[in-house]
Amino acid sequence: MDITPWLKLLEDSSVATTIRNSAYLFPSLEAVHVIALSLMLGTITVVDLRLLGLASKGRSAGRVSSEVLTWTWIGFAVVALSGFTMFTTNARVYAHNTAFLIKLGLLAVAGVNMAIFHLTAERTIDRWDRTAAPPIGKAAAALSLMLWVAVVFAGRVVGFTTTGQQAKEQAPPAASATNFDDFLTGGASSAPPAAAAPAPAK
Amino acid sequence: MHNFATWLYATAPSLFLRSHSDWMIPTIQSVHIIGIATAVGSAFMIAMRVIGWLGVDQTLLQTLRRYGPWLTGALWVLLATGALLVLAEPTREFDTLSFWLKMALVALMATIAVVFQRSVFRHDQRWETAILGTAGVKWAALATFVVWAAIIFLGRFIAYDTVWSHVLPGAKA
Repeated sequence: MDITPWLKLLEDSSVATTIRNSAYLFPSLEAVHVIALSLMLGTITVVDLRLLGLASKGRSAGRVSSEVLTWTWIGFAVVALSGFTMFTTNARVYAHNTAFLIKLGLLAVAGVNMAIFHLTAERTIDRWDRTAAPPIGKAAAALSLMLWVAVVFAGRVVGFTTTGQQAKEQAPPAASATNFDDFLTGGASSAPPAAAAPAPAK
Repeated sequence: MHNFATWLYATAPSLFLRSHSDWMIPTIQSVHIIGIATAVGSAFMIAMRVIGWLGVDQTLLQTLRRYGPWLTGALWVLLATGALLVLAEPTREFDTLSFWLKMALVALMATIAVVFQRSVFRHDQRWETAILGTAGVKWAALATFVVWAAIIFLGRFIAYDTVWSHVLPGAKA
């Protein structure tokens, strides 16, 4: 199924258009994305380190995880919403970007990893609440930490490999499609604020 | 300051970072973001304990022993990766108002982090019995969230900021 018309629809939405025409909305979304991911990853790490037996060893595993869970989900909701909104500004480019697709794949694996943990180790949490988590709980925690670090890396690469690019049918990519050289010389910062190209993301 | 930036830009380490920038800059930035998540995550857990919304089964001293080293360690990682990013492209930072505002707020928060931790380690009983429940300290803890958010905003805006070039004509050709 070709989703290109749907992606085009997202790009043409008034929200996406407003963001593209603003010099400050896109970086603001990036900042919100980082603030919310700090909340999400910070609280996930607290739980993962308890499961791995590297921190909070004496505390109830159930309490450690349940009390931060709300904040993890609040963080996730804001990360997902800000991420999706950034996606709509240049949907067809992101949808064909390798780093972006890898990031989505990693997120899916992280979701499955979490589901497996809930269906296995967490079912028996009463038995290991005050002691070490079972091997499958530790494995899930280690995998979780590695996956989220990889997600951050992939996400940063998305910014570097999509900046200044436009969907092909709209305009052929110019020789300076990737403004990485601008980034190096600081030239991008002096670009006119209302540039027609998608907001610079570096 | 602009001359210093120009000089730094021409040094060998700066050139080295730029000549491998296709993978080095995104990698350093990614480590910087993970550092932000660690620092802000730890600061969040400590502030939430001060407010009394998280971890109230632990004393403030226990909470600081758990998250304080992560906060301090992450701040060092941020300083190191941030210094590398400045080194790779000094004019981008030194000519930018966002960068200097961010540095001022970072210095403020790092100072608070050190002073606060020392104070709790020395006077943990007084913190536990007399200070923790007060409204002032709870509001102060809430205020730290705003400052961390401002630091992240300013950090992101370094890449987009053109304010300083208007303040100092000729700073950014």
